[in-house]
Amino acid sequence: MADNSTNPRLTAVRILTSVVADGKSLGDLLRAAQESLDTRNAALLQELTYGVARWSYRLEALLQPLQKKPLRNKDTDIKILLWMALYEILYMRTPDYAAVDSYTGLTLKLRKRWAKGFLNATLREFLRQRDTLVEQVDNNAVTRHSLPQWLYKFVVTDWPQQAESVFIAQNERGPLVLRVNSLQSTRDNYQRLLEKQTLLSRPAQLGNTSLILESNERVTALPGFAEGLFSVQDSAAQLAALLLDPQPGEHVLDACAAPGGKTGHLLELQPGITLTAVDNEPSRLARVEENLARLKLTAECKCADGTDVTQWWDNKPFDAILLDAPCSALGVLRRHPDIRLLRRESDIKALAKQQLALLRALWSTLKPGGRLIYVTCSVLKQENEQSIEKFLTVTEDAKERVIDAEWGQACQHGRQILPGQYDSDGFYYAILVKNQA
Amino acid sequence: MATLDILIFPDDNLRTVAKAVKTVDEGVRSLVDDMFETMYDAPGVGLAATQVNVHQRVVVIDVSENKDQPLTLINPEIISLEGEAQGEEGCLSIPGIYENVKRAEKIKFSALDRDGNPYEMDAEGLLSVCVQHEVDHLDGKMFVDYLSALKRRRIKKKMLKHEKPDRQR
Repeated sequence: MADNSTNPRLTAVRILTSVVADGKSLGDLLRAAQESLDTRNAALLQELTYGVARWSYRLEALLQPLQKKPLRNKDTDIKILLWMALYEILYMRTPDYAAVDSYTGLTLKLRKRWAKGFLNATLREFLRQRDTLVEQVDNNAVTRHSLPQWLYKFVVTDWPQQAESVFIAQNERGPLVLRVNSLQSTRDNYQRLLEKQTLLSRPAQLGNTSLILESNERVTALPGFAEGLFSVQDSAAQLAALLLDPQPGEHVLDACAAPGGKTGHLLELQPGITLTAVDNEPSRLARVEENLARLKLTAECKCADGTDVTQWWDNKPFDAILLDAPCSALGVLRRHPDIRLLRRESDIKALAKQQLALLRALWSTLKPGGRLIYVTCSVLKQENEQSIEKFLTVTEDAKERVIDAEWGQACQHGRQILPGQYDSDGFYYAILVKNQA
Repeated sequence: MATLDILIFPDDNLRTVAKAVKTVDEGVRSLVDDMFETMYDAPGVGLAATQVNVHQRVVVIDVSENKDQPLTLINPEIISLEGEAQGEEGCLSIPGIYENVKRAEKIKFSALDRDGNPYEMDAEGLLSVCVQHEVDHLDGKMFVDYLSALKRRRIKKKMLKHEKPDRQR
C-alpha cells in the first residue's frame, strides 16, 4: 500500500529525488502531489521544490567543501535534504535551529537513521563557516548563477555580452502572463474586469493582447477562466501566431502543438482557418483539446509523430505551418528551474538533429509559396540559427524571409529574444518560405 | 539485499493467486528482506509478493511513523472482521492514485513471522486497512476492484499513458 502521509517537506524530498535520480519533470510531479494537499501545504511544497531546483547547483557548491567524500547515488535523498535545509536557511528565513531540527528528523522518516548525525554535523559546520562559504561560491559565476558547467559555457559562448543578464533573469520567478481572447474581449476590457476584483495588471511589451499580472494568482480563480476569456501564455510566446498571420480560408498546421497555447491563439486571430494540430503524446494532445474546448474553438487534433507524415497527413498541402520545435527549453528556465537538473550536454545535439528532421519532413506538406514559422524556447544557436542554416543548405526550394521587427535581435537567420529582455521568456523565431514551383 | 521491480496496474501478473509458503527457509527470508527494502524505497507502508511478481503468500508491512516497526506476514489469514470504515487508499502498483475504499474497521489475523513462528494479532486503523489491502493482492485483487467501472477504466487509461517517458517542453 502506498504511503499518503502529507508532510510537505517529506513530499518535497521525494519529488526532488525523482527529478534528480530518475529524470522526471518537476511540474508533472508537483501537480500530482498538490492534489492531496491543502492550500497552505501545497504552496509550501511549490516554494520548496521550485526554489531548491532553481538554486540546486549553488546549494551543492556550498556543501561541497564540507563533505569529505561524496554521498553514494542511493543517498540522493540525503543530498536533497541538505539542499532543502540550506535553502530554508538562506532563502526562506527559517530560523537556523528549526531547519536543522526538522531536516535531521526527516532522516528517520526516510529510514536512514545513520544520516541523522551526518546531517546535523554538516549543517552545523555550514552555519559556522557560512559567510566564507557563501563568498567563495558567489565569486564563481557558474555557481553564483546555480548552473551546470556545460550550460554556463554554452550560453557564454553564444552570447558573451548578454550572458550575465540572461543568467540573472533566468533565476527570477516569471510573472503570470495572460493572453486575452480577442474573440471574446479586448485587453482594455479584461484589464478593467481584473481591476474590479482588485487585481492589478499591465500590458506586456510583446504581443497585442498580453497582460502581465502584478501578483501571483490561481489561474482558475481569475474572472472568465472557464468561459475562455483568456489563456496563460508568456508574452514572447504570443509572437508565434502573430508572425504566422493566418488569413481567412487558409489551411494551417500547428506541429508539436501541445499544450495548445499557440493553437488557440491562431484560431483567436483568424477563426476562418482550418487548423490541424499534431502532437506525438496522447496525454499532451488531450491538453490541447481541453484548452481549445475552454476557448470554444476547434481544430483537428492528431496524435502522431510529426516526422512521419504518412502517419497523419491527408496529402492536402498547408498554406502555413507553425513548428514549435522540441528544444532544450533553456529560454524558459525561470519557469522550469528543474531543466538545469534534467538536461545533459549531449541532449543538445540530439535535439538539433530532431529539429532538422522535423523541418525536412514538414516541408513536404507545405504548399509552394507557403510559409513555415520555426519557433523554439531555446537561447542556443545550435538549436536556432544553426538548425535553420543546416536546413537551408539541404533544401533547394526554401529561403528565409527576414523578420522585420522591433523586438529581439537579428541573428544570422531569424530573431532571438533573450530571457528578461521584455520581462519575457527567451524565444527564437525564423520564417521560411517555399519557392513557387 | 536488493530492491525489486514493482508491477504496475494493469499488469496481468497482478491477477495471479499466490500459493502458500510450505517452509520458511533462507529463500523466503531473503525475499522478505528484499521486499522490505523495496517497500521502504518506494515509499510504501505495505507490499505483497504478488506485486514483485513472486506468487507466494508473503506480505511485508510497516505503518509506523519512523519506519522502525517492520511486520512480516507469511501465509496470512484474516480470522474475523468487524465494523466498517472508509478511507483513502493508494497502491504502489497504481502510483499517484488515491481513492476512497470501504473496509472492515477492525480485524484479527494470523500469520507466520520471518522465522516461521505462528502469531495472531488484532489490528485497527491503518494497519487493519493495510493487511486487508495486502491480503487482497495475494488473491489477485486490487483496491480499484472496489471502485466503479468508470473510475477503474479512467485509472487504467491513466496508468497506460504514464508508461511513456515524460517530455519536457
